[in-house]
Amino acid sequence: MTLPIGDRLEAEALLTDHYLDALLAANDRHAQDAPSDPRLDADLRRAAAWLRSSLTRVHPSFRFEERLAARLAEVAAGLRLAPAAGGEGGSVPFPGLAFDPSQEPGPGFDDEKGRDAGPSRELLIGGALTSAALSIAGAAFVAWRRSRGQGSPMARAVRAARESRALGRLPEVDARRALD
Amino acid sequence: MFWKAGAQEESRRLAHFDRDRLLVQRAQRDPAAFDALYRRYLAQVYSYAYYELGDHHEAEDATERTFLLALSGLPRFEERATPEDGEGASTFRVWLFRIARNVVANQRRARRRHPTAPLEAASTTADPLDLEARTTERAAAADAWAAVDRLPGDRRRALLFRFVDEMSTAEIAGVLGRSEGAVRVLIHRALRSVARDLRSADER
Repeated sequence: MTLPIGDRLEAEALLTDHYLDALLAANDRHAQDAPSDPRLDADLRRAAAWLRSSLTRVHPSFRFEERLAARLAEVAAGLRLAPAAGGEGGSVPFPGLAFDPSQEPGPGFDDEKGRDAGPSRELLIGGALTSAALSIAGAAFVAWRRSRGQGSPMARAVRAARESRALGRLPEVDARRALD
Repeated sequence: MFWKAGAQEESRRLAHFDRDRLLVQRAQRDPAAFDALYRRYLAQVYSYAYYELGDHHEAEDATERTFLLALSGLPRFEERATPEDGEGASTFRVWLFRIARNVVANQRRARRRHPTAPLEAASTTADPLDLEARTTERAAAADAWAAVDRLPGDRRRALLFRFVDEMSTAEIAGVLGRSEGAVRVLIHRALRSVARDLRSADER
């Protein structure tokens, strides 16, 4: 009996999977011999053994490891402090945030296509920082208003209208319109 | 023999769940405790990034981003895996490698080119002064990397997760968002491509 192509492929894939389980387990035991299964193609077994011995795990430098550990500790300390500062601090992404880690790329995801994405960093803004920014903005607005001076035509017109209202008479133009 | 190996793999995977669960819970209560998870998975994440990107500095950058994103996203992570959940259950490692996969994919897209130089020294040797052994291992790693780098996206990733990070099919399925059957076929096809490359290299 011959299997349909799809089923045959799945059966072969299952055989390969079992072989790889055995190969990796043998490696964990530091076994000298690689497992052999005559049902699996010899070329596949050879390729698996070659990849097993060539694709070894790589360790980053100690310097990098410690530098990143320090950076993570810094961020962790910030995360612990953020709720203590009033809890109103939020996580604001830098422009060009690449993605949300919880987002699923989906099965059709392919890194050879798609959009370019810039580096992603996050900035924590606490309540204190927000209120300081608002104070600075308020002071700047008052200074700007004062710097505009009293002599602008609009300011003069407003002042004249207010004074005439206070004296109980309409400005000339409005009085004429009222008579019409 | 295969069943025995499968059972060993399964028990190893479940032990892995338990170890992670405690560390994750501690890190969720106190972010400073994330350091233990970082130390446990640093080499795995770095290796994956290194073989995907083929460059030491880019791998460091991807590793850094992965762990920073994981740390900031940890409060939202839910460890749901229990031994009863069986295969395909969610684990911290699966979640972490999903982040790594996205970070690496973004870097590859941003770069839009493959490195022209072969992979640097990829393996650690027992004796660092054994230059001949080092050279041979470097050449083997560079050849293997070149063969893997020629594979299309998910076949390449699946192969790296299986060989470099020693993930089970269920874990790879979790990272790639595919069924276990699809992952087995991906790996099988990837291995066939590598075998073809090896055969044609022999004939030359």
